[in-house]
Amino acid sequence: MANTATANTAPAHTAVSGNRKWAIGFISAVAFFFILNKFLLPQATTPVQQFFNNWFSLTSMAEIMIWIVMALGLNIIVGYAGLLDLGYVAFWALGGYVAGWLMSPFFSSLQLNFFGNARPGFEFGIHFHMFLVLILGGVFTAIWGVIIGGPTLRLKSDYLALVTLGFGEIIPQFMLNGADIAGHNVTNGAQGIGGLDDVNLFGYVIGTFALPEKFLMVSVLAGAMIFFSIRLRDGRLGRAWLAIREDELAASMMGVPLWRTKFASYAIGAVGGGIGGVGFAILVGGVYADRFNFVISIIILAMVVMGGMGNVWGVVVGATTLAWINSIGLIQVGDLVNNTFGTNINFPSYQFLLFGLLLVLMMLFRREGFIPEARIRMVMNEDKIDDEVSDETKIASN
Amino acid sequence: MIKPIKIGALAVAGALALAACSGGSGSASALVVGTDLPLQGASADASKSTNEVAALVLEQAGGKAGDYTVEIKEYDDSTAAKGAWDDAACAKNAQDHVANTAEVAVMGTYNSGCAKIIIPVLNQAGMLMISHANTYPGLTVEWDKGEPGLYYPSGARNYARVIAHDGFQGTAAAQFLFNEQGVKNLAVLDDTQAYGIGIADAVQKEFEKLGGTVFRGSWDVKQTQGYTATFEKIKASGATAVYYGGIFDNNGVQLVKDKTTVLGDNKAFLAMSPDGFSGYPTLREMPEAEGLWMTFAGKSLDGIIKGGGAPAKFIEDYTAKYGAQPNSSYAVYGGVAMQVILKAIAASDGTRKGVLDAVFAGDSLCLTAEESISGMGFCLSTETGDVDTVTMTLQQMTGGVETDIKTLDIK
Repeated sequence: MANTATANTAPAHTAVSGNRKWAIGFISAVAFFFILNKFLLPQATTPVQQFFNNWFSLTSMAEIMIWIVMALGLNIIVGYAGLLDLGYVAFWALGGYVAGWLMSPFFSSLQLNFFGNARPGFEFGIHFHMFLVLILGGVFTAIWGVIIGGPTLRLKSDYLALVTLGFGEIIPQFMLNGADIAGHNVTNGAQGIGGLDDVNLFGYVIGTFALPEKFLMVSVLAGAMIFFSIRLRDGRLGRAWLAIREDELAASMMGVPLWRTKFASYAIGAVGGGIGGVGFAILVGGVYADRFNFVISIIILAMVVMGGMGNVWGVVVGATTLAWINSIGLIQVGDLVNNTFGTNINFPSYQFLLFGLLLVLMMLFRREGFIPEARIRMVMNEDKIDDEVSDETKIASN
Repeated sequence: MIKPIKIGALAVAGALALAACSGGSGSASALVVGTDLPLQGASADASKSTNEVAALVLEQAGGKAGDYTVEIKEYDDSTAAKGAWDDAACAKNAQDHVANTAEVAVMGTYNSGCAKIIIPVLNQAGMLMISHANTYPGLTVEWDKGEPGLYYPSGARNYARVIAHDGFQGTAAAQFLFNEQGVKNLAVLDDTQAYGIGIADAVQKEFEKLGGTVFRGSWDVKQTQGYTATFEKIKASGATAVYYGGIFDNNGVQLVKDKTTVLGDNKAFLAMSPDGFSGYPTLREMPEAEGLWMTFAGKSLDGIIKGGGAPAKFIEDYTAKYGAQPNSSYAVYGGVAMQVILKAIAASDGTRKGVLDAVFAGDSLCLTAEESISGMGFCLSTETGDVDTVTMTLQQMTGGVETDIKTLDIK
C-alpha cells in the first residue's frame, strides 16, 4: 500500500513543480518584454530598437497573448473534453462585438456611461469600463455556448464538428450582414465598429501609444486563462472532461453525467473566446467582421494540436509559435534568408505550405504535440509501451 | 520534458545574437515615406504594381523632394493566413509608422477598413497619410453619426485622398441612369463588403433623391448556388435596370451570367457597375458583359495613355522598366499620392509637422494636370482632405473592351 501511495503522489508533485517552473518562465518572459520596452529600449541605439521592433514587436507580442487566450479556450473543448470544434472563431466574434457595442459611440441613440472613458465630443453610445465589458463578454459568449451546445452536444465526432463549423460560419455572416436587422443597425455590417474607448485603469488612461501597458494588460488576461485552465483541469470537472475524452462509455458507466459535463466544457471554453475577443478589440481599437473566417478557427485548432492537446503549457507554446510565425516570424526569417543569400523568395506566400508541412511532420513524428499531456502521450505511444512491456515479459520469462 | 528556463535562456541568447548581427538600414539623413498595402492575397498584384509606380515616381524625381533625400519603406497590412488586409497587421503597422522616427508620411492604405484603424494612430502622432484607393466616404465627410471625427482624436485632420469617394461615383451613376437613360425603377445590389455597401448606399441615396424607386438587394460571394432567385425578385419588383455595387472578384462571373439568364442581356435590361468591375480580363471576355455601363473615379488607364503627354510617357517608362503596364488604374493613383507627398515634403521643413502643415495648413496643396501622372489636376481640401475636382469616366463594354464614352468633371 505504501508503495502505491508513493507512486500516485509522485507524478502529482512533479506536475505541480512543472507548472510552477512554467509559470515562472511565463511571468519572467512577460516582465522581460515589459521592462525592455518600457524602460530599456527607449534608451537603446536605433539598430537595437529596430531589431526588437522587427523580431519581437510589442504589438505582435500583445497579439500573441490574445491567441494564447483563444487557444486555451479551445483547449478546454478540444483538449480536455475531446469535442472537435471547427467554429471557435464565432466566440471571438461575439466577444469582439460585445466590446464594440459597450465601449464605443456605436449605439448613437443611447447615452450610457458606467465608469467608461468616452472621448470628449463622443459621449453618445455605450461606454462601460473594460472590467465590466470583459465580464459581460465572457458571460455573453458562455450563454451562446450554452445555446449552441444544448441541441448539438448529443452529437458525436464528425457530426458535432460539422455543426460547430456551421455555427462558425453563421455568426460571422450575421455580423457581416447585421447592418439592417428589422430596421436596426446591430453590427454596422462590413464597416465594423471603430473608435473604441481607451482603457481607464483607476485614473490611468492606457492611450494609443501605451504599448507596454497594453501588452501587460493582455498578458494578465493570458495569465488568468492559464491559471483557470490548470485549476479546472485538476478539479472534479476537469477530471470528468478527461474521462469523457478518453472513453465516453466508461466515463458514463462510472457516473459522469455526459451531457452536462460536455455542456460545461462548451460554455467555459466559449468564455476564453469572449474574453480574448474583447481584449483583441481593445488592442485594435475596433471590431471588423472581415477577420472572422474559417481559417482563424483552423489556426486556433492547429495551435492546440501542435502545442499538445490538453497540456496548458503545450498550448501556450503552440499558440506563441504559430502566432509569431503568422504575425512577423515568417517575414523576418524571409528577409534574413533573402538578405543573406541574395534570393527574392516571398516567404509569407508559402505560409500555408509550411503550416501543412509542419502538421504532416508533426503527425508523422510527434503526434502528441510539442509538449504533450502525459495521458495523451501514453495513448499515442500505446503500441510502443505494449512492445516494451511484452519485451520485458519475454526477458523475465527467459 | 524541456525545461522552460532553458527555453527562455535560449530565446534570450538567440535574440541577443541576432541583435548583434543586425544593423540599421537606410541612409541616416533620408526621410522615409511608408507605403501601407496588402502585399498578400487577392490584392497582392495590384499592391506590387502600386509600390512599383510609387518607386518610379520617386526615381524620376531623383530620389529627392526639394532639398530632402527620400526613401520608401514598404509595409504589408495583410497576412497570408487571411489572404487579405488584417486588422491586427494594420494596428501593428500604425504603431510601426509612428515608431520609425525618420518616417514623415504614409501612402495608403488600399482598404478603407484598414484606414479606419491607422488614421487615428497617425493622427495622434501628427503624421500625414495620403490614400490612393480608400473610397469610403465616412473617412473624410459626415456619413454615419460620429464620422469622420471618430477617426481624428486630435481634432485636426491628417488624412487626404487623391481619388473620389464613393459618394461621387454613386451620384454620377444615379444621375446617368435617371437623367440620361430614363430609368425610374432601379435594382441596387451590393456584395456585402465595405466598398460595395458604401457605393450601393450612395447610388440608392442619390437615385431616391432624384425621385426614382429602388429595390435593394445583395449578392454574397459564398452563395455558390448562384443568384437567379435574386434576379427573379428584381424582375418581380418592376425594376428596369440593375446596379452591381461591389467588386467583380466577389463571384462576379456568376452574377453577370445569372443576370443575363433571368433578365436578358444588357440591351434588354440595362446593367451598370462601379470601378470595382474595371480591369478584369475575365469580364471583358464574357459575352454577357457586352453593353455593361461602368464608371471609373478618375481616368482609366486607357484614358491616361490616350491623353498623351507626360502621363502617357510615365506609363511608357513604367512598361519599359517592369515589362508590363501597371495592372490597375489604382496603381497610377498610388503614384499620384506619392507625388502629393513629395510635394508636401518639398514645401516642408523636413519634420512630420511640416509635411502635415504643407497639406492642411495655409493654402491648399495642388497638383497641376501637367504635374500629375494621371493627367488630372486637383487641389486637396484643407478641411476634408478630399480632392476638389473629380473626374469621372463613363465607360461601356463594347466588343470586349472597356470603351471610354465621356468624362464628367464634378466640382
